[in-house]
Amino acid sequence: MRSLIQKFAAIFIIMFTLMSYLQAQHTVKGIIKALNNSEPLIGATVEEVGTTTGTITDIDGSYTLNISNPNGVLIVKYIGYEDTRIDVNGQNEINVNLAESSVLIDQIVVVGYGTQKKSDLTGAVSSLKGAELERVVTPNVEQALQGKIPGVYVSPASGQPGAGAVIRVRGTGTLNNSNPLYVIDGMITEDASSVNPQDVESIEVLKDASSAAIYGSRGANGVILITTKNGKKRQNAQLSFSTYYGQQEAVRQIDVLNGSQFAKAYNQLRGQNFYSQAFIDSIGEGTNWQSEVLRTAPIKNMQFGANGASDNISYNFSANYFDQDGILKNTSFERGTFRLNTEMKLKPWFTLGNNVSYSIQKEQLGPNVIAGAYRMPSVLPVTEDGEFTDPTFFGLALGNPAASQFYQSNNFKNSSILLGNMYGEISFLKNFKFRSNFGYNFRSNRERNFLPKYQVSASQLNNLDRLTVTYDDSDKNWIWEQTLNYYKEWTDHSIGVLVGYTAEERKSDNIFATRESFPGTIDEVIYLNSGIDTSATNGGIGSAEALTSFLFRTNYSYKEKYLFSTSLRVDKSSRFTPDNRTGYFPAASVGWNLGREPFIESLNTFDRLKVRMSYGILGNQALTNRYPTSAIINGNLGVVLGPNESLNQGSTQLSIANPKLKWEISNQIDLGLEAGFFNNRLDVEFDWYRRNTYDIIAAVPIPDFVGSATNPFVNTAEVLNTGVDLGVNWRESGTFDYSIGFNVSPIKNEVLALAQGREEIFDAFINGEPASNTIVGLPIGAYYGFKTAGVFQSADEIASSPILGGEKPGDLRYEDIDGNGLIDGEDRVYLGSPIPTLTYGINLGAAYKGLDMNIDFLGVIGNKVYNEKEANRFAVYNWEAHVADAWTAENPSTSEPRVTNGGHNYRVSDRFVQDGSFFRLRTVNLGYSFPASLLRRIKMESLRIFVSGTNLWTRQSFTGYSPEFPNSSSPFRVGFDNGAYPIAKSIQFGLETKF
Amino acid sequence: MRNIILAATIIFFNSCSEDFLDRKPTGTLTAETFFENEEHAILATNAIYSNFRSWEYCGLPYIGATDVISDDADKGSTENDGPYLKEVDDFFFDATNQTFSTIWKGHYQTISRANIAINRIPDIDMTASLKERLVGEAKFLRAFNYFRLVQWFGDIPLVTTQLTEDQFFTQKRNAKSEIYALIEQDLKDAIASLPEKSKYSINDLGRATKGAAKGILAKLYMVQKKYAEALVLCDEIIASGEYSLIPNYNQIFTRASEFGPESMFEIGAVALQASIAGSGASPYNMVQGVRGVPNLGWGFNRPSDDLIQNYEAGDPRRQATIIYVGEVLPDGLTIVQDNPEILNPRFNQKAWVPAHVGLQDNGPGNIRLLRYADIILLGAEAANELGQNSKALEYVNMTRKRARGTNNFILKDLTITDQAALRTAIRKERRSELAMEQLRWFDLQRWGIQSEVMTKIGKPFIANKHELFPLPQTEIDLSAGSLAQNPGY
Repeated sequence: MRSLIQKFAAIFIIMFTLMSYLQAQHTVKGIIKALNNSEPLIGATVEEVGTTTGTITDIDGSYTLNISNPNGVLIVKYIGYEDTRIDVNGQNEINVNLAESSVLIDQIVVVGYGTQKKSDLTGAVSSLKGAELERVVTPNVEQALQGKIPGVYVSPASGQPGAGAVIRVRGTGTLNNSNPLYVIDGMITEDASSVNPQDVESIEVLKDASSAAIYGSRGANGVILITTKNGKKRQNAQLSFSTYYGQQEAVRQIDVLNGSQFAKAYNQLRGQNFYSQAFIDSIGEGTNWQSEVLRTAPIKNMQFGANGASDNISYNFSANYFDQDGILKNTSFERGTFRLNTEMKLKPWFTLGNNVSYSIQKEQLGPNVIAGAYRMPSVLPVTEDGEFTDPTFFGLALGNPAASQFYQSNNFKNSSILLGNMYGEISFLKNFKFRSNFGYNFRSNRERNFLPKYQVSASQLNNLDRLTVTYDDSDKNWIWEQTLNYYKEWTDHSIGVLVGYTAEERKSDNIFATRESFPGTIDEVIYLNSGIDTSATNGGIGSAEALTSFLFRTNYSYKEKYLFSTSLRVDKSSRFTPDNRTGYFPAASVGWNLGREPFIESLNTFDRLKVRMSYGILGNQALTNRYPTSAIINGNLGVVLGPNESLNQGSTQLSIANPKLKWEISNQIDLGLEAGFFNNRLDVEFDWYRRNTYDIIAAVPIPDFVGSATNPFVNTAEVLNTGVDLGVNWRESGTFDYSIGFNVSPIKNEVLALAQGREEIFDAFINGEPASNTIVGLPIGAYYGFKTAGVFQSADEIASSPILGGEKPGDLRYEDIDGNGLIDGEDRVYLGSPIPTLTYGINLGAAYKGLDMNIDFLGVIGNKVYNEKEANRFAVYNWEAHVADAWTAENPSTSEPRVTNGGHNYRVSDRFVQDGSFFRLRTVNLGYSFPASLLRRIKMESLRIFVSGTNLWTRQSFTGYSPEFPNSSSPFRVGFDNGAYPIAKSIQFGLETKF
Repeated sequence: MRNIILAATIIFFNSCSEDFLDRKPTGTLTAETFFENEEHAILATNAIYSNFRSWEYCGLPYIGATDVISDDADKGSTENDGPYLKEVDDFFFDATNQTFSTIWKGHYQTISRANIAINRIPDIDMTASLKERLVGEAKFLRAFNYFRLVQWFGDIPLVTTQLTEDQFFTQKRNAKSEIYALIEQDLKDAIASLPEKSKYSINDLGRATKGAAKGILAKLYMVQKKYAEALVLCDEIIASGEYSLIPNYNQIFTRASEFGPESMFEIGAVALQASIAGSGASPYNMVQGVRGVPNLGWGFNRPSDDLIQNYEAGDPRRQATIIYVGEVLPDGLTIVQDNPEILNPRFNQKAWVPAHVGLQDNGPGNIRLLRYADIILLGAEAANELGQNSKALEYVNMTRKRARGTNNFILKDLTITDQAALRTAIRKERRSELAMEQLRWFDLQRWGIQSEVMTKIGKPFIANKHELFPLPQTEIDLSAGSLAQNPGY
């Protein structure tokens, strides 16, 4: 009743005000609704064309407007909907149903230190709205980006709950850290794993040099801008609640030999009947170790939000609880997040705002025992006589993975993360705005790892209870930015200028302490104080760095057709000595809105058409080492003296430093085309780029006789990435809404030069042999080894063939590449690259009446993976299923060698290189929204129920869980599967409601 | 109002100066702030010893380059473990084998630590006598490392200062004679400045001594065939009364005999709690430990059949040197089981340590680098070469006597008077006494009989090639031509 009075009053006041200004004119009223769901649109503008007369719709979507010409034309506008023109024709009531715009033509896009209209952009910026992320069930914004944006390759860092993702924007650009920069509401961070995806308003990826150059020294690997939600203007308070619950399990299992197969293979290995036929018959399947360590695990999420805005204050509050158990037993991730974003216009010239989120996280860090489960012979039971089986198989050390999981799981990490910013903005002299923004990111991790005393075998044991407590303030970062903006529009011209100065400091420090021998193992007892004090050890360290920057950017547009932009960032980093501290990062770009030229308009083909070109220079300094130019004195180099065995401390300088180190540089050229067809239903965006990184900072080998423990960082090497980003989207709005999106990104990675004229860098050693080789002219970190050429069938064949030495019938035959009659180091060749040559995504959406559906696919082509877990054998392990078909005299296989356990057949070769291409159904989301008319009776604005699936189906030829595991930060060691935490598939049910 | 806020902000951020950007590593000294006082000098010297316990120094590659390559031992362990060591055992290696790059690196890193101490300690304002001793220790350690390298590789880069970037890739190999000259000078300096073992406090045992420096110099002279100079030093050591033979041979390598009367130079190791693992321990015991049941290590360095045959009948040193399957280990607790993954397993008892708190990879056994018996036999060898038959016999019979203990039916005193026959006998005695102590390869080289001996046991030894190891291929590659490879590689 009360709200009705308010509404009535509001309408009355508007009417009265308008009437008092405009008399004796034609009055039009009506309701503006959305075409697809008939919901009233609040705050839509209704204007009389050719006049300054206009109004906005109220809470019910109603408007009343006095117009000067009863036969005039009204135009109705609402963000996200098509502008609609209506001839008045003397009518007094005009109701309009607005169609959602197919392409958000004048979408506002967040760019570095500001926003821009999409049509004015001259750089390659991809934008994704929060709604598109919410459909992916993950606690992690980074993982939600998978398959969504052309040129942005995302792979999960691991299947561990809470794990982030590794993101490569336009390829692997350097030999050190290739991660993009994250900017969360202006706060610069190294990852975004703490951001709750449901709080995200939009994500923009700055891909080319001109858009990223404003981040200068850290923009070389792309920039990901994350903007969190705030209350929408002209909106009453809205409450929302959503939740889902689901179950996850491993995407698949790796086929390994079952009990009887293992026993047979082992007999072949030993060349004798170690296992009797009776045993083989009775053991059957044996133990499925993967099933023993994996489980079906629940995933839960709850989100409550409140947001709204008055004329001067907008706000968004949210609270989120997320709980995910890992599919490996004794791993989990639990997080609570609060967020408060507000913006207050305190004076006509002064705005104050903040975006703050606080998260508390609890992770259980049970061990990743996948490699152990994969290796454990399936003839062994998990337990024997109630004790964990001692798997010391024929004297060879191999831990029982189920026991590791049991004993090593009292390991918890509690983190609290404060992330946010505060800003004030002053407008003056009409066209100027000054903004001061202070951002901060504090992250404190408290890890508590209790290892009880246990013994499974002689090698799998822990002699004393041990508690290790670590307090790690891993981030204590702040940034303070001062920016001054000038913007002015004339009839045909507009100009924008940005200048700014920023300072930032990043710090971390930690302490740890341990004690041993506790009087009990219940959680209440296990505190450091109850351990024996003579067993106490502790330690701690910290580090810090600082950066100051000057920013400058101009944008100029003529008739909104000809667009020019230039920028410059000057960075000074504490990582370099004063002589090399300063780096200059300029960029320039031009754009031409061809679609606004009469000769294109007259074709009536394009709804919009823009070509653009950019060039810029970016930097990179993202080394783990914050002091790469300092020669430090290493401690803990003790000498043990005397019969009392006392440890006398020692320290000295172990490594040579390079004070001449300077910025790593990357230049990038980008040619782009954006077009809209069929009334903007079809949208195409195409970019070609060439990204050249040189003076790459790398710890390049120096001779060992120098005696340096590590290689100093030097500026060296050059890497080229060329590729295309193509995004094509079709979107039809109406009662039946549907969309089809496709993005594809072919890329070529090539090393142009390495240090000191060297031609190759070996890395990724397996059994002492390098498995990757970075060779000039080939991609970074390519696999390198022998090529197999079948299996030796007889001693005669061996005698007449090039061999390594010691081969027996049934062994793999390697190709004699150089034809010198010997198999030697010279016969190792390029065996493929871990870097995909093509990544793509397909996004389908449809909505009809209350039903909606979203389906995302993603895929990669052209990458290889190295099955390191199969290649590494230190003991008698289980074998993968194909070994059941091993060569024997009776079964003269030509592809599967005889059963061996390491040695010749396990040399680095293409035997372990597998195709890493895959095509995955990433998400399926089906929802039903109840009709608004029904909900209004229970004071509910919307209610949607849904069921969704994640990773439900994958097509891959790789025999492991998933070919995605860029588990290494080193580009020389990518794509090696050594038993990574498997990713999960899941199904969940949920609801979303608004009040 | 707004203008005031603006002005205040601008003034504030302009006040940020370059100081904000000057960040130094925290929790550590830097090269600029180190070497300022006596304590720094001690720390820097201790750090040199520390590296003797590293993998690069005493791990598997070192075992490969000393025992496994010699006729004393085979690779051991399971068939497929440690393929690079298999190549060494079979003389099937090339310059890319990591055995050589690892020991090269470990020794040059130790030399680098010694260079820092030698070059910077003299400028510190501190007690003169301590300063002299610390520099003496560093010089001894530098000489020890160069001596090993020159025996393994021949001509090598002579590095005595911290090299700068323009020297990294242009360094040449220095002639063996230049390396010898440095070793000799360093050891003479060390002899002059170091105290005898007995002058150290008990808590400093393990530091380089005058006696140790004399011992290594004697070895150098033996390599150079300067027998007279060598014998003088051996005589001095024997006459010094600083050292004696432990009565019972099988007690030498026990915990109780660490830093004992027979010890001339050894690297202390202690297995501390695993939470601070590694800081006092070494991988030396682990790589040679019994593999299987009991599970004490990786099982490398299998005493060879040829070594077994070297022992005279009843020589108790065979049992004290070799662990056989079925043997009760010296702790009296465990019996070694057969391991079907290893062909005819045997293990090095001199590297054996009982199960300990540090687990396998945290070995507590001291690494014995020079013991008195070695010097006595070196003296015997020198005396024989100089034709001093009675002195040679006197010395060689000292170790035989100790080995035989109270059993007068074995290891009778030698009475040979023929120089060549005695030479053979001393060499045989030396092998029995010092087997599996990583000395054999150097002895074979010194005697110039590597080819003869290795060929005899069926190894494809190539004369004029395999006497020296190849320089690591990475060093050759990096030098872009300035470092030449050894002949044959």
